[in-house]
Amino acid sequence: MEFSNINIIDVLPGMFLVTASLLAVLSIAIKRNHKLIFGLTSGSLLAVFVYLLVYASDHQFTVEPLFVIDGFGTFVTGLIVMSSLAVSLLSYAYFEQREERKEEYYILLLLATLGSDMLVISKHFVSLFLGLEILSISLYAMVAYLRKRPRSDEAGIKYLILAALSSAFLLFGMALIYATVGSMEFKDIGNYLGSVSNLPITMFAGFGLMTVGIGFKLGLVPFHMWTPDVYEGAPAPVTAFIASVSKGGMVVLLVRFFGEINGQNYPVIVLSFSIIAIASMFTGNFLALRQSNVKRILAYSSIAHLGYLMVAFLAGGSLGTEAVCFYLVIYFLTNIGAFGVIAILSDHERDAENLDDYRGLFWRHPKIATVFTAMLLSLAGIPLTGGFIGKYYLITSGIGADLLLLIGTLVVNSVIGLYYYIKIIAVMFDKAEGSETIALRPRLYIINLVTLFVLTALMIWYGIYPQGLIDRIRDFLQ
Amino acid sequence: MSELQATSGLLLAGTLFMLGLIGVLIRRNIIFMLVSVEIMLNAAGLAFIVAGSKWAQPDGQVMFIFILTMAAAEVSVGLALILQIHHQLKTLDSDAANTMKG
Repeated sequence: MEFSNINIIDVLPGMFLVTASLLAVLSIAIKRNHKLIFGLTSGSLLAVFVYLLVYASDHQFTVEPLFVIDGFGTFVTGLIVMSSLAVSLLSYAYFEQREERKEEYYILLLLATLGSDMLVISKHFVSLFLGLEILSISLYAMVAYLRKRPRSDEAGIKYLILAALSSAFLLFGMALIYATVGSMEFKDIGNYLGSVSNLPITMFAGFGLMTVGIGFKLGLVPFHMWTPDVYEGAPAPVTAFIASVSKGGMVVLLVRFFGEINGQNYPVIVLSFSIIAIASMFTGNFLALRQSNVKRILAYSSIAHLGYLMVAFLAGGSLGTEAVCFYLVIYFLTNIGAFGVIAILSDHERDAENLDDYRGLFWRHPKIATVFTAMLLSLAGIPLTGGFIGKYYLITSGIGADLLLLIGTLVVNSVIGLYYYIKIIAVMFDKAEGSETIALRPRLYIINLVTLFVLTALMIWYGIYPQGLIDRIRDFLQ
Repeated sequence: MSELQATSGLLLAGTLFMLGLIGVLIRRNIIFMLVSVEIMLNAAGLAFIVAGSKWAQPDGQVMFIFILTMAAAEVSVGLALILQIHHQLKTLDSDAANTMKG
C-alpha cells in the first residue's frame, strides 16, 4: 500500500465535500443562517463540478487498494454533483417556508453526495461499504427530516430498518466471498472466478446474498416494498435525491463490479438478473396503474425504470456502459424535474401529492404544468424527449447482446407505462374548479422555476440532439 | 486457522444471521426489530473475522470495526426516530405505525 504518490489535487472532490460539510457544521454552531448555508452548499457542489471539468477529465489514477478514478467514475461523479446541486436549489424554497430548523439538511445533503461519490469510484468491498453507509445514514435522517409531519417518521423508520437489513445481507455476502477468495478487491474476485471451473457453494451463497442487498438499495422487485412508502413519506426534494443520486450511485457500482468479474459470462447470474429485471418492469408498471398519489406513481415508475436499466447492464461491454451513462443522465434530469414540480407546488403543511392537486393545473400555472408534462412524456419515452433516446439506446445495447426477451418486455412495458403518465397529464388539462393559488414568495419561486426550466431544456435538447452528449460520454469512457 | 474451524465459524455466523432475520420478520415491536437487525450485522461482522483469520489477514477485523461504527451511527438515528414515533403514537407497535399502503 503506497500513499506517497497520491497528489492531494487528485482526490479533491471528496476532500472538498468533506470540508464543505464541516464548514456547514461550524457555521451552524456560530449562527444559523439558511441563506448562507444554502450558498455554501451550492457553491461547493458547483466548485467540485468545475474542478472535474477543468482538471479531472484527463487524469486517471487509482488509490490502491480502495478507489479507481477513471473516466466512467469522473463522468458519474460530475453527474451526481450536478444532481445534488439541482436538488439543493429546489430544496431552498421548499424548506424556507417550513417551521423546522432547516440548516442541518444541507450537511446531510453534502454527506450523502460524498457517499454516492465514493460508491461510484470504489473497487474494493471496504470502500463500497463505507460509501454506501455514508449515503444511507444521511438518507435516514433526510427522509424523516420534517419531524412534525405524521408520515415522515414512518417513512424514516421503514427505510432505516429495511436499509439496515439489506446492508446486513450485503455484508454477509461479502464475508462469504472474502472467505472463499481471500481478497476483497473486485479484480481479485474476477481473477478467482476465472481460475475455477466449478464455483463453491459459499461463492453462490455470497453472490445471492449480495444480490438481495443490492436489489434492496435499487428498489428492484422482489425487494421493492420500501420504495413507494419512502417516496411518499419523504419531503419532495429528498425523494428526488433518493430517486436519482442514491439509486444511480448503486447502479454504477453494480456496472463496475460486473465489469471486473465478467458477470455477463455466467448464465446463472444473467438469468437471475433477467428475472429480476422482467419482474421489476411488470410489477412497477402494473402497480403504478392503481395509484392515485403522484409520488407513489413515480415510485412505481422508478421501479420499472430500474428494470429497463438492467437491460443495458446485462448487455455489458462498452455499448452497455455508454447506454447506462446516457440513461442515467436523462433519468436524473427527468426525476429531479418531476419531483421538483411536486416540491414547487407543495405548501407548508403537506406535499402536493394527490392527483386532485393537479386538476386544472394547466389553467392555473401553465409554466409548471408544461414542465411537468415534458418530464412525464420523457419518462414515458415519447420521441423528441431525452427519455426516448435513452430507451432507444437501451434497446440498441440489448440487441447487440441478443437479449430479445428483455427487449420485448421493455417495449410492452413502455406501452403500459404510457397509460398512467398520460393520466396525470389529462388531469392537468381538466378544466379548473378549485382556484387556490400557491403562496410562494416570488423571489424563491424564481430559483425553482429557473432550475426546472434548465432541467427541461437540457432534457429536450438531449432528445433532439443526443450526439453531443454521446460524444462526451465516449470521450470519458475511453 | 484450519479449513474445518473456518467452516464451523461461518456456520455459527450463518445461524446468528438467520436468528436475526427471523427476529426482524416476526417481531412487531420496533425496538426489537432494531435489535434483530443489529444481531444480523454482528453476524456479518463475525463472518468477516472468521474469514480474516482463515487467510491470516487483518482485513476481516478492519471490516468488523467499520461494521461496529456503522451500526452505532445507525442505532443513534434509529433510536431518535423511535423516540419520535413513541411521542406521536404512544406505542411502538410496528403495525400501528404502518399507515401507508397500496
